[in-house]
Amino acid sequence: MVHRPRLTRARLLAGLIAAGSFVVASGASAQSDEEGFPIDHETIRARCAACHLPDSEGRMSRISFERKTPEGWQGSLQRMISLNGVTLAPEEAREIVKYLSDQQGLAPEELRPGLFEVEKRMIDHRYLADTDVEFTCIQCHSMGRVITQRRTREEWELLMSTHRGYYPLADFQAFLRMGPTPDQPGPDGEPPDTRQPMERAVDHLSEVFPLHTPEWAAWSATMRPPRLEGTWVMSGHWPGRGALYGTVTMGGGGEQDAFVTRASYTFPGTGETVTRRGRGLVYTGYQWRGRSFESDEADGAMREVMLVERGMNEISGRWFRGDYDEIGMDVRLTRLAGSPVVAGVHPRALQLGGGEREVRIFGAGFADGVGPGDVDLGPGLTVNRVVSASSEEIALNVTLAPDAVPGGRDVFVGGATLAQAVVVHDGVDRIQVLPRTGMARVGGIVFPKGYQQFEAVAFDDGPDGRPSSDDDLELGPVEVDWSLEEYAATFDDNDIEFVGSIDQTGLFVPAADGPNPDRDRNRNNVGDVWVVATLVQDDNGDRPLRARAHLVVTVPLYLLFDAGANVSTGASPDPAASPNGRGSRTPGPNPGMGGSPK
Amino acid sequence: MALKPINRKADRMVTYLANQGDVPEAEQMAGPVGPAAGAVEGGADENAEDVVALGGRLPEVPEIPHIPLGCSLVFAPGWEVDEAGGTAGLCQPVERDLFDCHLACFWPAHVPDQLNHSPDWTGKCAAAQNDWRKLEMIFP
Repeated sequence: MVHRPRLTRARLLAGLIAAGSFVVASGASAQSDEEGFPIDHETIRARCAACHLPDSEGRMSRISFERKTPEGWQGSLQRMISLNGVTLAPEEAREIVKYLSDQQGLAPEELRPGLFEVEKRMIDHRYLADTDVEFTCIQCHSMGRVITQRRTREEWELLMSTHRGYYPLADFQAFLRMGPTPDQPGPDGEPPDTRQPMERAVDHLSEVFPLHTPEWAAWSATMRPPRLEGTWVMSGHWPGRGALYGTVTMGGGGEQDAFVTRASYTFPGTGETVTRRGRGLVYTGYQWRGRSFESDEADGAMREVMLVERGMNEISGRWFRGDYDEIGMDVRLTRLAGSPVVAGVHPRALQLGGGEREVRIFGAGFADGVGPGDVDLGPGLTVNRVVSASSEEIALNVTLAPDAVPGGRDVFVGGATLAQAVVVHDGVDRIQVLPRTGMARVGGIVFPKGYQQFEAVAFDDGPDGRPSSDDDLELGPVEVDWSLEEYAATFDDNDIEFVGSIDQTGLFVPAADGPNPDRDRNRNNVGDVWVVATLVQDDNGDRPLRARAHLVVTVPLYLLFDAGANVSTGASPDPAASPNGRGSRTPGPNPGMGGSPK
Repeated sequence: MALKPINRKADRMVTYLANQGDVPEAEQMAGPVGPAAGAVEGGADENAEDVVALGGRLPEVPEIPHIPLGCSLVFAPGWEVDEAGGTAGLCQPVERDLFDCHLACFWPAHVPDQLNHSPDWTGKCAAAQNDWRKLEMIFP
């Protein structure tokens, strides 16, 4: 990455004054010779053509030369409504987003690297294809926004112009070089790159993310309305609550690509069972956007973002809620089509030693009258008897041989199999806190709290006895004692006294927003702390195992470009509900487009 | 009662002063020698934790500063984190800085911008440090 000087606002203002009417050409604006997509949608032509003039081929300026996710198109419409005076009825907006997402969307292969963006995962993303371009873009937003779009070169140039027009300081924050033009060859001996950062970004993005790609050509040729009706076996993981297993039943939603759902799942670790009803709409033939509600109450509302795999037998993604979309679970659905499906085993980790134990297998389609001979848990594991059995759960009495070889076991049940469903180990050797770095936001008075859930995962060091080597066995989440420790970044800041607290499920709850009069210089309740997990093993007298993660407790966001929060999922089961837990907080100038309040 | 050196460096300084500069400069740089060595030998363990944050190897420290999703790291300070990946360099309290951010569109993805989306965001709020409860979250 090119080193750039630190930019403070004071320096920035000085730069503005000195720069005066500093103008840099925004690059060639040659007419694109690529063909855009004709718009064959009456509402778009009626409501958008005043500005986006159609040509003789039915192509409309700008619109025809981009491809995006539903969230991307929704964001464009929101901007048109907010800043350009467009008025659209909610149903018109839904029509437009659906049409454009289907006709000018992304192929599954194109979306996959940017899934974290639409699934709202807080990850440490690295864009390695061009770190300078990454540097330019992530000054203000995630790189996920960029890599989930496709445009002609002219459109990428216009995107830059839009940024510069709406946010003039972007020139000095990211788009223009702060410093002299390089005039010396680089380390590789090549001539210096004298392009401005935004010119380099246009060059790169128009090459890597063009409008037309083989992936889109192939997908758009085979894309069709998905056939998802039926029963799906559900497995998932909710950090802090553990694994979950159940089923999802999907039925037609009354219009093309729309479905109604009923999900029922159990957390084996706690025994808690949850039932949800919801709706979903599939964009571009594979992008599931849904909302579901727990027991018809809005409080349990979750958004569902999933990807339907080719073949339509697997669906995976994330269900989430929270003001910052920070609470949720990973979900995988497998179609139940005649033969049984194994979703998982609880407990998954079986420690050597001890006598008989109970193991439960979760899934669906298990045959009546299953016997011990129908289940194979692998070498060293003997099924003594079936304790209870239903079509979705089999409880077994199992003996683990003292000399069983530690390692993962595939499980077979009546013709169904699940790889690495059980792991045999000889004790926990270390634990790790996930995520290794987390972020929470102060809130609760005016702005919402941003929570951070942590989880402790146990490991067996494996046959070589060395930690963090390739043969380590992951044993899954374990219950630990949670605590906070000071992160010694600044002398005597006592962050730990102000930032908030962590409960014994690993959920960090940040302190209140606003200046804190009890703190030096009225500082907010922000700070850096260690989140420490301690596992006391009482069976061998070993000293407790400890692990920790870095937690940043920081300031709120004061606006959310969260277009995804409102992407239509068909008719809401409860129009008065607050589907994402944002309560009745006043939206900005955007009239709700999704038919349900934020 | 003599003050106890709080760490090895302080101990070396005390020893140096006690010896009135007899310790050669090169040896000062290398570490305690002669009488000072004994003093630090005895005190090394009890003082070791004093300098752990400076020279000790902390386990499980992330190799690189964390860049949370949607966060920018490079400004001084950044929005969520400063250049070091922490919060020490943030403008504090943040309310003191909000109006500047609003007027200058300095953090267009974090603070409502006065130029386009939210010209009246601060209309009910004369001084953010006092009236910050009158601000609203904006969904542009």
